Amino acid sequence: MLRYIVQRLIAMAITLFIIISISFFIIHSMPGSIVDDPMLPEDVKLAIEDKYHLNDPLPVQYGYFLKDFLSFNFGTSIKVQPRVSVFDIIKAKLPITLQVNIFSLILTVPVGIILGIVAALKKNRAADHIISIMVILFISVPSFVFAALLQYFVAFKWGLAPILLSTDATLTWTKFKSMILPVLALSFGGIATITRYMRAELCEALNSEYMLLAKTKGLSQVQATVRHAIRNSFIPLANIIIPMFFSILGGSMVIENIFGIPGLGQLSVSSINALDHPLTIATLFFYSLISLLSILVVDLSYGIIDPRIRIGGRK
Amino acid sequence: MKNREKVLQVKNLYITFNTFSGKVHGVRGVNFDLHKGETLAIVGESGSGKSVTNKAIMGILSKNANIEDGQILYKDKDLTKFSDKQFTKIRGSEISMIFQDPMSSLDPVMKIGKQIMEAMLVKENISKAEAKEKALNLMAAVGIPEPEKRFNQYPFQFSGGMRQRIVIAIALACDPDILICDEPTTALDVTIQAQILDLIKEIQEERQISVIFITHDLGVVANVADRVAVMYAGKIVETGTVDEIFYNPQHPYTWSLLASMPDLDTDASDELLVIPGTPPNMLYPPKGDAFAPRNRYAMKIDFKKEPPMFKVSDTHYAATWLLHPDAPKVEKPEALTRRIEKQKERQVADNE
Ligand SMILES: Nc1ncnc2c1ncn2[C@@H]1O[C@H](COP(=O)(O)OP(=O)(O)OP(=O)(O)O)[C@@H](O)[C@H]1O
Ligand code: SF4
Ligand SMILES: [Mg+2]
Repeated sequence: MLRYIVQRLIAMAITLFIIISISFFIIHSMPGSIVDDPMLPEDVKLAIEDKYHLNDPLPVQYGYFLKDFLSFNFGTSIKVQPRVSVFDIIKAKLPITLQVNIFSLILTVPVGIILGIVAALKKNRAADHIISIMVILFISVPSFVFAALLQYFVAFKWGLAPILLSTDATLTWTKFKSMILPVLALSFGGIATITRYMRAELCEALNSEYMLLAKTKGLSQVQATVRHAIRNSFIPLANIIIPMFFSILGGSMVIENIFGIPGLGQLSVSSINALDHPLTIATLFFYSLISLLSILVVDLSYGIIDPRIRIGGRK
Repeated sequence: MKNREKVLQVKNLYITFNTFSGKVHGVRGVNFDLHKGETLAIVGESGSGKSVTNKAIMGILSKNANIEDGQILYKDKDLTKFSDKQFTKIRGSEISMIFQDPMSSLDPVMKIGKQIMEAMLVKENISKAEAKEKALNLMAAVGIPEPEKRFNQYPFQFSGGMRQRIVIAIALACDPDILICDEPTTALDVTIQAQILDLIKEIQEERQISVIFITHDLGVVANVADRVAVMYAGKIVETGTVDEIFYNPQHPYTWSLLASMPDLDTDASDELLVIPGTPPNMLYPPKGDAFAPRNRYAMKIDFKKEPPMFKVSDTHYAATWLLHPDAPKVEKPEALTRRIEKQKERQVADNE
């Protein structure tokens, strides 16, 4: 097991290295310069460009970049928050993103599971059809469309909730109310995914031989479903729920921009727009790290949840 | 002979299935009695309705099934009228069932011990400690070595034969009076098969339960059964004691089954009889005798009218026009006659 983890970590490091290298070259080949103010005297401009090695050939810049990166010196922001370490910027943005996303997760997981169970138990009946239509709608309509619709109808037309996120620093009632719409917009996709998955897994489990045995040994339909079918269908569900826990760290660029949430998603968009390369790469690195970690945790968690791997794998 | 008290009576059971292509007539008027303490084997080829009949007894027919006609009498009650709730009460504690595939019958993520105790804890008023004790005894009884250790293991840590033993232990957990075994050894290899058969026989004798044993292997029947019912195309075509079916079969389908069964004496040079044709499509149950198109002794009447059950002896009945007094005298296939002779000789030799 330990060896497996080490192998995975090494593979992860290589993947991360490739990702930041590719993003370095892509980002630096974007047109434009950070010093594009026409009022700036030419020598000041040169001095700034020199400071960030912007006039060296790209491979040389890459060398500088790698050297800094490998010594965990991620640099400072150039334009978004000049001279602030990118590490500190991300650290400051993270709680804002987390707050919205945790609420979204609290909504997504139980609602998705319950809808999935209902759909599976009422398979091919009205409830199942209604849920299926909802799932298709939630999966196929992009979240920003929902966000815009929610803003227009719920916030603007009916005035039931604020359009933008409140700027209160702590979780006040106003803040909570202003979070309702972004949380909803963030959750629809996840709910649909979990519902669809849960329904499929549970339908399969309900038709399994062990359900038949559970019934013939004298359990009622409800007992057999709860003790055997649902329990079994939770295992593959971990596959999609665990990455969701990690993705709450990331935040959604689109939703954060629409609702004015000053979180990580918005940060990465503004850093790209401002050609703030160190900040862009740092956010990209952070996103990649999260997704790779979540894959690793999914794999490892199987060894904990599923006895077939937990005990079988030990041999 | 055996105690003749009837514990279960299936009367004229007729079951159809709604499918996209139409109504499938899975079981078409099945009659049999199960006596206390006996093993009744139901044999017949794939699709003859063996499983459907027994699923009806357990109340686990699929949703598209309709019981069109007939009764299943158990303790003066008709099981065909039972709700799922009523069935839940008798399942496990009165009638229990084990299935063909021990690999998938156990919940893969629940410990063996828990699966055995589960029904006891739900159905019976006993403490966890008592249930555990009972489960361990059961595990020992079905031949699991080191039950204490095995109790806390998961199904994947058991071999196929071991799993089938566990399934048997689960089926016996609430002391049923009737045990239905639906091809319990088909998925196992031959040596394990014999062990499981012995185990079922042993349990049957020890607990004096009644067993319905479904199989398409006549060789197995000779080992475990007291009586045999031969099914074809949703009907029982011949029923009798094991001796009657093996030494004095009357129905041409039974003849073919017997003649197509390899035994110890069969070698490569012996010809095994192959039953020509395929079973009828149960979407359109045939007029006349369902076996007629595959039966080389078929007469005109066979394609028009279904034969009734003719009585051969008090315990032996067969549904074939050949038993009609007016029917021409037809001899069993020669190969079968020879084989029966051989078997009889062997039996005599065994007994000496
Ligand atoms: N759920 C179902 N829907 C439609 N038809 C069914 C269903 N279950 C069984 N049947 C039909 O009923 C008939 C009897 O099936 P059954 O399973 O009882 O056969 P069997 O004798 O147990 O065969 P096997 O030896 O293969 O287990 C078959 O023609 C089958 O196609
Ligand atoms: S009734 Fe006719 S077709 Fe059917 S088994 Fe007897 S002889 Fe053959
Ligand atoms: Mg079957």
